[in-house]
Amino acid sequence: MDLNVELCGLRLHTPLVPAAGTHGKEAVQASEGVYGAVLPKTVTPQPRTGNPPPRLAETPAGMINSIGLQNPGVERFMEELDAFDTGVPLFVSVAGETAGDYSLLCGRLAADDRVRAIELNLSCPNVERGGLYFCAVPASVEEVVAAAVEAAGGKPVLAKLASEGAVEGAQAAERAGAAAVTLINTLPALAVDARRREVRLRGGLSGPAIKPVALRAVYEAFRAVGIPILGCGGVATGTDVAEFMLAGATAVQIGSAGFVRDPREILREFSGYLRETGLDARDLIGAAH
Amino acid sequence: MRFHRVRVESRERLGSYRVLRYPWEGDVEPGQFVLIRAASQRTSFDPFLARPFSVYDLRGGVMSVLLEVRGRGTRLIASSEEIEVSAPHGRGYRPDVPAGRVALIAREGKVAPLRLLYRRLQERGVDHDIFLQLAAAQVPILRDFPGARVVDDFGDLSGYAAVYASGPGAVPPGIPCQVAVEEMMACGEGSCYGCAVPLAGGGYARACVEGPVFEARELAWI
Repeated sequence: MDLNVELCGLRLHTPLVPAAGTHGKEAVQASEGVYGAVLPKTVTPQPRTGNPPPRLAETPAGMINSIGLQNPGVERFMEELDAFDTGVPLFVSVAGETAGDYSLLCGRLAADDRVRAIELNLSCPNVERGGLYFCAVPASVEEVVAAAVEAAGGKPVLAKLASEGAVEGAQAAERAGAAAVTLINTLPALAVDARRREVRLRGGLSGPAIKPVALRAVYEAFRAVGIPILGCGGVATGTDVAEFMLAGATAVQIGSAGFVRDPREILREFSGYLRETGLDARDLIGAAH
Repeated sequence: MRFHRVRVESRERLGSYRVLRYPWEGDVEPGQFVLIRAASQRTSFDPFLARPFSVYDLRGGVMSVLLEVRGRGTRLIASSEEIEVSAPHGRGYRPDVPAGRVALIAREGKVAPLRLLYRRLQERGVDHDIFLQLAAAQVPILRDFPGARVVDDFGDLSGYAAVYASGPGAVPPGIPCQVAVEEMMACGEGSCYGCAVPLAGGGYARACVEGPVFEARELAWI
């Protein structure tokens, strides 16, 4: 039973990676040993205060969030980066409003040896541009990824994409030189307060409710691109991890499930699955095809 | 988040409140909170999230929380023999008590964080008065706050050396005031930024790690 996987030339001692924005520095120490890489909350060029509350709504087997990328900006973020050093590769998630923003962020991060890979958040449903999610169409995915890859100077660039148009987006990212794609981001969702007769929250849906949608995106993208896939969306058990890998994921991100479970338990369950089946983690990748 | 499965030792109704007690080893600060869910939620993921509760009391290895049934999550917790609980989290009331008499005030029935605080102040011999805004169905909670007065508004608090509040609202200027807030939470450990509280100087703090007890002057809506 071997948990190791290789992703973009990096060895991950487990295939689990936290999803951006779900694993703060307060949680990092408590989950040491579980994750094959660390991935802090998305950072933007300038500080962002985030969206006014309410920012959360609970849904059947899931939740909607609309945080709005609250973060201290890349310079402050870099000063606090050591808090995320647990001896495993550090991935950094970035977002901007223009291709130039992504390019600037990638240049800044590529110059720091602590950063081993950069994930482009191209699909945050809570930050909009011109009524469309930024990078909602393949042409802009390609433009942004190309700019990011050029600025990253050889460091692996991962493109995190929306569920809608996942295959086309993954193909565009691959054409533009992405080292991997992360599928999927939260799904655009709405909560309505019937009693007050008003919208309670407009945001992104996560949790076990979206798992089948995410699995399908991973499965189809696996057939369409040659670069590795990080599966993400509703992963909450060790069996879920196995399912995403079988559908084609090389590594699997744990998001909001980390709020309601100890990620150690998820890793324990996944290890149990490997022991029962007599397989190594890497044997699972795409094996359902 | 790490949860611990515990058996509910007792459940008691005090008007619309229920006191839930469960065994707990370890200490807690007044004003800290725990996340609780019914044990069945662990595998069903529905309701998905645990619910945050102020620690009501901790005595002789027994933790208690105060619960009012608001929806499906609280109803499940209220009726479960087995629950899953997190360790106490967050910043509680700071114990830097100024010399003089202090006031403990609870707005709109949010009495829970004041119970352990009041007991600790009593142990330290701090003179205090307790004022509670309660709905009629909440009045039986007075059993746990001997000497407390039920009020519609808090009147003039300017004679007090400090105010310890629970629930949002205006406080008299010039008096040190700490206030416990209640926010919906997802992670409870600083990761998700869901429990944002607006700050007086702009921006937001997280109720789960920078709070749930804040200096009142730090907050925008006090």
